[in-house]
Amino acid sequence: MSGPTGHNPLITDSGIGLDEVEEARAIPSRKRFKTVPRKVWIGAAIITAFALVAIFAPLLAPFDPLAQDPVNNLTPPDSTHLLGTDELGRDVLSRLIYATRTDLPIGLLAALFPFLVGTVLGTLAGFFGGFIDALTMRISDIVQAFPSYILVIALVFVLGPGAKSILIAFTALGWVVYARIIRTEVLRVRSADYVKAAKVSGLPTRGILVRDVFRNSVGPSLVYFPSDIVFATLALAAFSFLGLGIPPPTPEWGAMIADGQAHIREQWWLSTLPGVMIVLLGLGYSLIGDGLEESLDK
Amino acid sequence: MLFAIVLVVFLLLQITPGDPARQVAGLRAPDEQVEKVRESLGLTDPIIVQYWRYATSALGGDLGYSYKSQQPVTEIIGERLEPTIWLMVLGTLLAILISVPLAVIAALRRDKLADHMVRGFGLVGIGMPAFWIGVMLILLVALPTGWFPVGGFGGDPLEKLRSITLPAVTLAIGSAPILIRSLRASILNILQSDYVATARSIGMPPRVVLRKFVLRNAAASTVTLLALEIGFLLFGAVVIESTFAINGVGEGIVLAARGRDMALIQGYTLMFALVVVFVYLVSDAVIAMLDPRVDIGS
Repeated sequence: MSGPTGHNPLITDSGIGLDEVEEARAIPSRKRFKTVPRKVWIGAAIITAFALVAIFAPLLAPFDPLAQDPVNNLTPPDSTHLLGTDELGRDVLSRLIYATRTDLPIGLLAALFPFLVGTVLGTLAGFFGGFIDALTMRISDIVQAFPSYILVIALVFVLGPGAKSILIAFTALGWVVYARIIRTEVLRVRSADYVKAAKVSGLPTRGILVRDVFRNSVGPSLVYFPSDIVFATLALAAFSFLGLGIPPPTPEWGAMIADGQAHIREQWWLSTLPGVMIVLLGLGYSLIGDGLEESLDK
Repeated sequence: MLFAIVLVVFLLLQITPGDPARQVAGLRAPDEQVEKVRESLGLTDPIIVQYWRYATSALGGDLGYSYKSQQPVTEIIGERLEPTIWLMVLGTLLAILISVPLAVIAALRRDKLADHMVRGFGLVGIGMPAFWIGVMLILLVALPTGWFPVGGFGGDPLEKLRSITLPAVTLAIGSAPILIRSLRASILNILQSDYVATARSIGMPPRVVLRKFVLRNAAASTVTLLALEIGFLLFGAVVIESTFAINGVGEGIVLAARGRDMALIQGYTLMFALVVVFVYLVSDAVIAMLDPRVDIGS
């Protein structure tokens, strides 16, 4: 099937020719994010810094994060152990650094998988309607009746602890929000002139779906995505804090806060510092999300 | 809807690996005895019969027995309800006390210093894990002043209030950034509405406009928001109760998950889902009371 030539005489409902339609269908998604606020760059810089720490963890960390030294446990910061040692004599700084390798990627994936599944299902549901739409929406109604993180506890219980279970549970429940957000947009875009024109001019459905519908509907989901990464990262840390997430001895910030709580009177930094790392990472994502939202509003 | 919720909870048991009959009979029990237990538990019946039995007894208030303690699940949950109710009620009230004024100020002084400060707090605060806030409050408030216990839930009403104060503050600080963000947006919407413009143009004093139109409509948005965030607040209770060693239902579900007590997990999950459904219903009624435009029949 050949695409439209520039001189197609086809006219849409509102009387615009295909030339204008071609123009219109190309603009919206690009125009929407044209001005990138400074916030986004600052946020991106923070996330990049964390990514670098994760990648170069073996070079940055002074010690093996798992190496125990029970004789020298719970030591205060000194020139060898810059941030002291924990209950098992492990170097706190090295564990803080290596934990980036757990919290950064798993937090990101725990939001990315729901984003991918949700936007695909939501787009299909909104575009095709009918049975697939009814089914998707009915399932999402049921999922939304549950407090999702509590259902995650139950699912992680069923699947066993570990990163894989967390990712499966988050994806199984988290896609619902994205499906709903993008479906609303797709319903709006579906009836736009440029989509109608693309349909009547016989463009392949797959092309219309991706090029016209998806690209013009995905904006609000993209804006929600950074805050969802924050929630996913916080939840990952919370599950590990509760002893239901990443099992020991893997360094993880939430679990480090739990370990440090018993020694809060003497070694206050044990619980404080991992929390600071989480807040900083969250700030990075929030700045990106906030900036994107502002630029979408304009 | 109720049957769908019960179905999900029931399916949790079906997809859990492991043999509940063997768990009840004991690991070293002879095979014949396990079979006898299996029959007495009704696990040999067709799955649809099992579901029907579970659903009817669950909706009748019978959630089975804990595998561990052999106590009825409803009894275990019932004993743990009180501290959680204290925490949720007090925490939500404090969250409203913090969020509503800050959101109103930020919206009225849009893009002024106050607005930037409130939004800055939101960006940092949204990344703060509730359990970390709790540990920080223990470190910075409970330990230095000695006014509040570092954990537990006390006997007489005054002691209860004292021991629930810091957890409630934690819940309030943890949920305030999300509440403020959405409230600010909805108040900005109200300020730009036609009825506010009309009220101003006929010379109504700003104070009266604020009270009669803005705050009244903002109250409805607050209730909607709190209902939408109920899952988030309940998970906050789970995390905070575990941080402060409060023997509520939140700590209960974590202990049940750690102890691999399936019947208990199912009971808790069902209870939390029912709370969510109940809160949705109540919030609809409250919104209809606050906002005469909402037709409760629809």
